[in-house]
Amino acid sequence: MNVLLAIPFVVPLLGAAVTLLLRRTPRSQQIVGTLTLAVVVADAALLLRETADGTVVVSQAGGWPAPLGITLVADPMAALLVLVSSVVLLIVLLYAIGQDIGGLSRATPQIFHPIYLVLTAGVCLSFIAGDLFNLFVGFEVMLTASYALITQAPTRARVRASMIYTTISLTSSILFLTGIALVYALTGTVNMADIAEKLGAAPPELRMVLALMFFVVFGIKAAIVPMHFWLPDSYPVALTRISAIFAALLTKVAVYAIVRTQTLLFVRDDISAVLLWAAIATMLVGIFGALVQDDVNRVVSFALVSHIGYMILGLGIGTVAGIAGVIVYLVHHIVVQATLFLVNGLMRQYVGHTSLRAIRGLTTVSPALALFFFLPALSLAGMPPFSGFIAKVALFEAGIAAGGWLVHTGVAVGVLTSLLTLIAVFRIWTRAFWGTPLPDMVEAKEQLRRGANLGGLRFMTAMTGVMVGVGLFVMAAGGPLAEVGFTAARDLVDGDAYIEAVMGEGAG
Amino acid sequence: MAVGVPGEDRPYLAGRIATGDGGPPEDWEAPRERWLSTVTRPAFGPRSVLLEVVARILIPAILTLAVFLLVAGHGRPGGGFAGGLVASMAYVLRYIAGGRHELAAGVPMRPNGLLALGMLIACTTATLPLLFGKPILYATKWEFTLPVFGHVKLLSALFFEAGVFLIVVGLVLSVVAALGARMEAEEEEMRQEQLQRHSRERRTGADGGGGR
Repeated sequence: MNVLLAIPFVVPLLGAAVTLLLRRTPRSQQIVGTLTLAVVVADAALLLRETADGTVVVSQAGGWPAPLGITLVADPMAALLVLVSSVVLLIVLLYAIGQDIGGLSRATPQIFHPIYLVLTAGVCLSFIAGDLFNLFVGFEVMLTASYALITQAPTRARVRASMIYTTISLTSSILFLTGIALVYALTGTVNMADIAEKLGAAPPELRMVLALMFFVVFGIKAAIVPMHFWLPDSYPVALTRISAIFAALLTKVAVYAIVRTQTLLFVRDDISAVLLWAAIATMLVGIFGALVQDDVNRVVSFALVSHIGYMILGLGIGTVAGIAGVIVYLVHHIVVQATLFLVNGLMRQYVGHTSLRAIRGLTTVSPALALFFFLPALSLAGMPPFSGFIAKVALFEAGIAAGGWLVHTGVAVGVLTSLLTLIAVFRIWTRAFWGTPLPDMVEAKEQLRRGANLGGLRFMTAMTGVMVGVGLFVMAAGGPLAEVGFTAARDLVDGDAYIEAVMGEGAG
Repeated sequence: MAVGVPGEDRPYLAGRIATGDGGPPEDWEAPRERWLSTVTRPAFGPRSVLLEVVARILIPAILTLAVFLLVAGHGRPGGGFAGGLVASMAYVLRYIAGGRHELAAGVPMRPNGLLALGMLIACTTATLPLLFGKPILYATKWEFTLPVFGHVKLLSALFFEAGVFLIVVGLVLSVVAALGARMEAEEEEMRQEQLQRHSRERRTGADGGGGR
């Protein structure tokens, strides 16, 4: 147990140290990075096998008993998310390696590898942290790495975007720390299981303020409307390998933190109306933003904001079925967003930019690219039989079963948003993929073909294909996935198993 | 401590520019005593002998305090993080007094190397207990008696803290290198150019028979 829980964040940190020492030999850096992430994937798979039946795995670091020491916890939800994240991280790393081998990127690899692995450690630690302060540490490790990553290959636009991004993130971090201090003042502990037991006795008004505070803290990071404005300004500007990881993982880690804190620490009824309103606003504002953008990257970024709303909707519904829907949606969304951003990166390689005004007929230029865009795009819009359909149906069913006019409105808006998403992706499809290619696009492709970069480009395309394959696998594994989702959701809504596992037998 | 003769050979860069605007006479900045290990003047501001002397005296004491904090960290205020910060302050002081060459002379390896080494030490000591079936970060205690120190209690956590210490020093130094030293290098380049331009002007002025 101890080993399984330690590996997801210690091994990437070790890998970061080694790649930092090996910065003169890019090839060995690539090997170390890939091996590190492969180990994390294998470990996460074992962890999921261990917890899939609802077992909560606990390790008390240093042997100090909870709530005194650092607690590492993996329940089915955490294990599932560690697995999906590490798979996505591994594929994106391979994509980046392909790009570097082909000499197609301006990133500085000797810095990229260590920081990327530190980011991995931060993401994994956030998922398995058992106390609020360690969650904060995980977040900070992840965010600090992301500050460095977003300015890779600095241009004026990237530096500007990183200023916005860093300022907003630091603001949310300060609020987070303040929230932890308030919780500690109220309960005298930062261990989440311990807080869950003690916070129930706190005055409801105070509890509600704290719940709102944590919602705002993670809401900023998850880009929930009206705290979303920074995301479409910063993500699309970064390098593809980086924006893919940011879009796939960083917002989802924040959603995970919202789910964890709101279900475990706070009573559901406290702020569920706020959650539902925020979900409705997020879905609508995001998708209307996506409909008017001219850059593919920005369309996908706004769609990302919009679809965060679905997960908040599921949390607002708050039943076991609703939260199971959130978990399935998280998995689906991580994979689909990563795929779409990788496809955009390939588009940038082929055409040099991603502006819809000057792209035509990509289907002729690269049929594989068209296929790799088409499948995740339909999945994002929620067309059957893709994973997006499974996730959305799970959420809508939960909503209809739960009742209440606000929940029903949320479901209706969800259906509408999914139709609007279909319009948004078909707008990209008809503009960029159909038609005859523009002359300069054909020329650009010829130039690419003449250059010696073809091997790297092929590898990148293959990795994008693998990511599409992972998406299809999520679809095919929809049944078992939903099962794990339900097991995890029962644990989350109930909370007893988690608290007992952390605090020991005597607790209850 | 002999008083230097004005116009003596000076290894320092660019005394003239710094004193050109009604400041102290130019030989004011001539070195009479080597307080720090390098002789290149920092590009920013005039040389401060006071700062150099203070740095020379304080740095050993600061580093000793840092090691004390590192060792005392278990049970008393201190630890790797606090110790690392104090130690890096010694280097920052040295940098402010002597510039980037001075900093480079005082650090055994590049900041990146320190970071990596510290991370390796910290991660390895954190994971070693896993091999013995203990949870991560588990610490064991050795007690023994040494001739001079007497009864000594050594915790394996000390090695972890040493890793943290190195990480903190490496981090602060890389911040100094990225923000201070690079800017300083650019300024030094500018100063060199300015100096060349000045001397060229002076030469042409002399050749032209004192027209200006």
